[in-house]
Order: sequence, then C-alpha cells, then structure tokens
Amino acid sequence: MTAASVRRHGVERARTRFFQLCLAPSLAVLAVITLAPAVFLLVSSLTPLDLTRPETVGDFSRPLENFRLMLADGRLGNSVWVQAKLSFWTVLLQLLIGFGLALLLNSRDRMIEALRTVFLIPMVLPPIVVAIIWKVIYTPDISPMHWGLSVLGVTIPSLITDPDWALTAIIIADTWQWFPFTMLMTLAALQMMPQELIDAAKVDGASAWQMTWHVTLPFLRGVLLVAGLFRLIDSIKAFPLIFILTDGGPGSLTEVTNYYSFQQAFNFSLLGYSSAITVVLLAASIALSWVIIRAIGWGHRD
Amino acid sequence: MTHPRIARRSLLAGAAALGATPALGQAKPYAGQTLNGAAFQSTFFEYLRGYFPEFEERTGARVNFNTQAFPVYNQRTDLELSTRGSALDVVNVTFIYSGRWIGAGWLTNLSDFVADRNRTPADWDAADFVSGAQSAMTNAQGQTFGFAWEAGAMLLAASRADILDRANQPMPTTFDALLAACDAVQGRESMTAFVADRLHHWNWIPYLMGMGGQVFRDPPGNLTPMLGTPEAIRAAQWYADLLSKFAPSGGLSFSDDQAMRAQMSGRSMFRTQAITWLVPLAKHEESTVKSTVRYALMPAGPQGNYPGSNSHGLGIPAGSRRKELAWEFIQWALSKDMLNRIVRTHGYPSVCRRSVITGEAFKTALTLNGQDVASLYLQVLELGGRSGYMKYRTVPVFPQVGDTINRGIDRIATRQQGAEAAMRQTQQDAVQVLTRAGVRLDGG
Repeated sequence: MTAASVRRHGVERARTRFFQLCLAPSLAVLAVITLAPAVFLLVSSLTPLDLTRPETVGDFSRPLENFRLMLADGRLGNSVWVQAKLSFWTVLLQLLIGFGLALLLNSRDRMIEALRTVFLIPMVLPPIVVAIIWKVIYTPDISPMHWGLSVLGVTIPSLITDPDWALTAIIIADTWQWFPFTMLMTLAALQMMPQELIDAAKVDGASAWQMTWHVTLPFLRGVLLVAGLFRLIDSIKAFPLIFILTDGGPGSLTEVTNYYSFQQAFNFSLLGYSSAITVVLLAASIALSWVIIRAIGWGHRD
Repeated sequence: MTHPRIARRSLLAGAAALGATPALGQAKPYAGQTLNGAAFQSTFFEYLRGYFPEFEERTGARVNFNTQAFPVYNQRTDLELSTRGSALDVVNVTFIYSGRWIGAGWLTNLSDFVADRNRTPADWDAADFVSGAQSAMTNAQGQTFGFAWEAGAMLLAASRADILDRANQPMPTTFDALLAACDAVQGRESMTAFVADRLHHWNWIPYLMGMGGQVFRDPPGNLTPMLGTPEAIRAAQWYADLLSKFAPSGGLSFSDDQAMRAQMSGRSMFRTQAITWLVPLAKHEESTVKSTVRYALMPAGPQGNYPGSNSHGLGIPAGSRRKELAWEFIQWALSKDMLNRIVRTHGYPSVCRRSVITGEAFKTALTLNGQDVASLYLQVLELGGRSGYMKYRTVPVFPQVGDTINRGIDRIATRQQGAEAAMRQTQQDAVQVLTRAGVRLDGG
C-alpha cells in the first residue's frame, strides 16, 4: 500500500467519523422519541399493567398472558376482520378515484388547475373537522343529504346506525378525505410522463383506452403501488371518523383494531393488554409493508 | 378572563361563609399560592367561577380552575391521578370513576378533614349532603373522598303534554303504560314517541332492575355479571323494541345534547334521563315546549321502581401538595351559603344539600311549568341512597362492563342478533373483560 493510498483511507475514515458525529444528535433525539415509547410498549405488553391496580406494574410473572388472552378474544378477532374490510375498500376506492380524477385533471387549463385545488381541500382539513362534517351529513334530523332525499320522496335510514350501512358510511367518508392524496401523487407522475411515449402510441394508432391501459398505467404502476402502500398503512390508523361517527358501533360493526386497543388503554385502563394488541398490530403493519415493498421491487432497477 | 364586579354585600356574605373556618382566622393564610382545579364543563362551575374573586380575596390564593368536555376530563384526570402527580389540587370525582379512583387510593380521605374542628367548623354540616348523592363518594369503610356538587336524578319528561291530553293518556307510571302512551302518540304532529341518548348502560338499567334483573350479583363484593339471565334478556328486548319502534331515525347514535334538543324542539315526546337534561325543556331560551312540558317519576316495572341517580363531587388528589387550601376551597364552594346563592341567582337545579333542596329558593327554581319538580328530585335521590341499588355503577370495572352492555343493546335494536343471543354474548364478553381486569367471579 502506497503512502498516498494510506493518506486517502485516513481522509475517508475522518470524513465518515465526521458524518457520524453530525448525525449522532439527530439519531439520539430520534431514539428518544420513537424507540423509547416502542420499548415501553413492548415491555408493558409483557405485564398485566392496569392503572387501577398498582401491583400490576412490573409484574413479569406471566409475560405471554396478554398474547394468550388475545387468542381467545372474539371482539379482537372481529376488529381485525373489520379492519381488513375497511382497509381493502378504502385503499381500492381511493386508488381508483384518485387515478381517474388525475387522468381527467391532467391539463394546463386554468379552470382545471382551480378544480385541482378544490379537490385537495378534504385532505388538508383536520381529521376531526372531516369527521364532524360527515356526522352532520349522516345525522337525519340535521342532514342536508337526508333533507334533499326526503324532498325527492326518498327516505333512507340513518347510515351510521344501520348495520348494513355503518361500515360503508365510514368507507365513504374516509375515501372522500383521502382520494386527493392518490390523485396528487398520480398527477405529479403524469406530468413527468415522457411526451415521446405518448407520441409513439399515437403514431401506432392507440385509442384513448389502449393508451391508458398499455402506456399510462404501466408507467404509473410504481407510483400507484407506493400511494396504495401509504394509504394502507394509514388506513390501519383510522381513528377520528370512527370515534366521532360510530364509536365502533352499532354493536361492534365498525370497531377496528386500533380503536379497540385505544378503548382497552384509555377507557378501561388495561395498558398491558392494549400494548400487546398494539405490538401485534405494529408487527403486522411492518410485515405487510415489507411484503408490499418486496412485491413492488422498491430500490431495484428493472 | 374577566370576573364580574363583586358587590360589597356579596363579598361580605362570602366572607361570612369563610369566616367560620378557623384556619382563615389569620389574614390571607394562603397568599401567593395557586390552587389548581379541574372538572368537566358544567353550568355549576360557570356560576361558581363568578365568585372566585371572593375566595381569592379572602385567602390570598389564586384559583386556576379548568373545565373540559366530560370524556376528555375523565381520561385526563384518570391518567393524572394514576401517576399520583401534584398538578391538581381539586378534582371532580366523576360518578362512574369514583369506585376506581377511591379504590386505587388516588384520592384523599376527607373524613379526617371533616372530623378535625380546626379545619372544619361544625356548622359546615357534612351530614347535610343527601345520602344518595354521597354514597358514590365513600368507600366500604364509610370514609368520604368527595362531597357532591351535582346529583342526577332520573325522571320522566313528556315534551308535549297537550298531545298526551288530547290522546287521553296520563303521564305513564308503569312500563306497560309507557308503551301504551308511546303507541298513542307516535307520529302525531311528526313526533317520535321516545328518545334516548346512546349510553344504554345508564338508560337501560332502570328498566333491567324494574323487570327484576341486575348488572352484578352483589356489588361491590361480588361482581359476577348477571346479563344473560331471563330477566336481563326480557328487559333488553323490551328496551330495544322501545328504541327501534319509537325513537327517531339515527337515535342510537344520539348524544345527550341531541336527545335533549329533539325534545326541546318538540320532535320527540318522552325521555327518561337525569334531571340536568330535562330542566332545559322548561327553562332553555330555545325550548319550544316550555308551556307544554310535564314531569313525573320514572315509570315502575313489575318488580319496582329504580330510577337512576348519580352524583359528582369535589375531591382532593392524593398527590396534591396543597391539601389544606384545597379543603378550604371545597368548604367554600359547597357551603350552604354559596349553594343557596347559586340557586337563588342562577336557578341551578342539581344541588345535593338537603337544607338547600328543601328551601324556598330551590323549590321556586324547580317549579317548572307549574310543577313541583324539586320534590320528585329529592324522592329519587333518597330512593338511591336508601337501598343502594346504584352501587353497581361505582365499581372500578364498570366502564368496561358498561361498554359491553352498550354494544349488546345496539345489536338487538339494530336486529343484528335476537335478544337471547345478544345478551348471552354480552354476558360472555363481560366475564372476559372482568377476568382480564383480575376480578374474581363465581365459578371462576
């Protein structure tokens, strides 16, 4: 090894050390605000921690008891099924509507640009405001929707208390709030689509439908999958709509897993059990994300 | 925040109430201290806030009293008390959490303060608080952890008695009569016959008990749930039918306020609920039924009359560092003089001191549309205190059992399940949540 290469290695090491030193404060803060609560969650999931029973703090005598109880908890199982239905339909609808509207709004026209901004409003509203808007829409005695339909001679039940409609009502509200996200991402990708691709398809005589199916959609595949992944992870965090609109009811028809976990912790003080549910939910979210990322082939070039 | 100007006479009256307290014989004994209090939003604290300057002037302490929405307050305080922190000196002792907070040792035993003549003058008269309102504030040994500032006594209110009269229906006194009256008025003048808010674990229980059922076998000693019994199944079916046949569309999701407004606007006829939600029918400026509202005791079932009653009190967290000052505040806020002033000035309808309830000012305030509602109120409070049937509600695990009840009634009223299947599932769920909370049950 020559003196020059030794000097170069020394400089490299010094640079790496410098970068590490620069990163250290941020990593330390990150560790405190994300890792510490996660560790607390994991540790408390191994105890029967109940705020009303001081003796349960630090009781590790049966560390897997919460997980055993979860297996026998029918309401938890139901909440997972409700979550699956909610996630499937909201992600699907948001992708379809977002993609469709992005295609329609992909133009430089001033009116269209203004319309684009209007479509973004639901996404920028605070979630609690969105929930209250839909509470008004779904409450028959004050609802403009129910009033309008009654004028037309149509009577419909209260959607949030009707067992056939309650989950659909949540899906509609969630889709309304979040389709602008997929629309925005799709629109951004569409505007970066190479003109040559479009021109080539036109020269080959492709119809609008063929253009969308064989050119646009394959080009957007990655963006749509990423948008879908984001929405899927976010759908698992659905909370304000359920809290305000249905409280998980009627019965347990709209009770999703994180809402059930919230109730265990903050209404019933069963922090240990709630932590165990949250740990499993977290693990499932990570596993799901990993599977989807693998399927997309994120980080790998074709 | 601005405080109203305090008249000299009011100041003297407040000082007289405080003057009896020995600790305040000295000049401004708490000067420089800040008393931190918290409660849920209520007109009582809005009224009381107007008098804070008197307390501050007398003691030298500053009062920092925050109120929040009911569920927000309960969650925050539950967490705060569980840490035994010192952030709060006076808290509202919420009825449904009282067993939990007292049982866990999160509140200060006020019996010691009451018994100490240096801290509490005899004429403060702790025994003047109605026993029914105080029962939730005590533990099994009879020690007191709070003093009630509000009591809820469940009554029956009919918003449009004129329609009842035209239908030749008296105010119902039994469950059967309630059904008959509902049948007679449903749909008249676009009214629904009944309305309730979504807290079935409060609204349904009087019907359960009236049909001979109960929530727990023998609370607080034996918390084995009794929700799958034939009586519970029958009562659940009866109440779910009442809701599905006679309540407004979407009524299952109604909050207290929504249900109250349905009655106030004359869109719904009957409601069985705590007096706080029924008085506005006669007094609220937006009420359209002031001249037609009528009140009665909760109807009785075949096995008797069990109107719900509850109370909220003021207590001192175990972790407070200003317990003496907090006790001064509680004595001042709940003195006979202060409560009489609040009743006289604002017509506050939910006080818990017998001497105030039986006084002229309260009777005048609770004479609603010509009816003496004060006596109905006292009857309900005494009923709850005498037999102790409300004990079920103050046990630490009631919130989770109440939640299973809510969901069970929902399932029946929305036809997801028949009453028998729904209540058997409710019983099973209740056993599961109680076991998870470490409660020992019969046969367990």
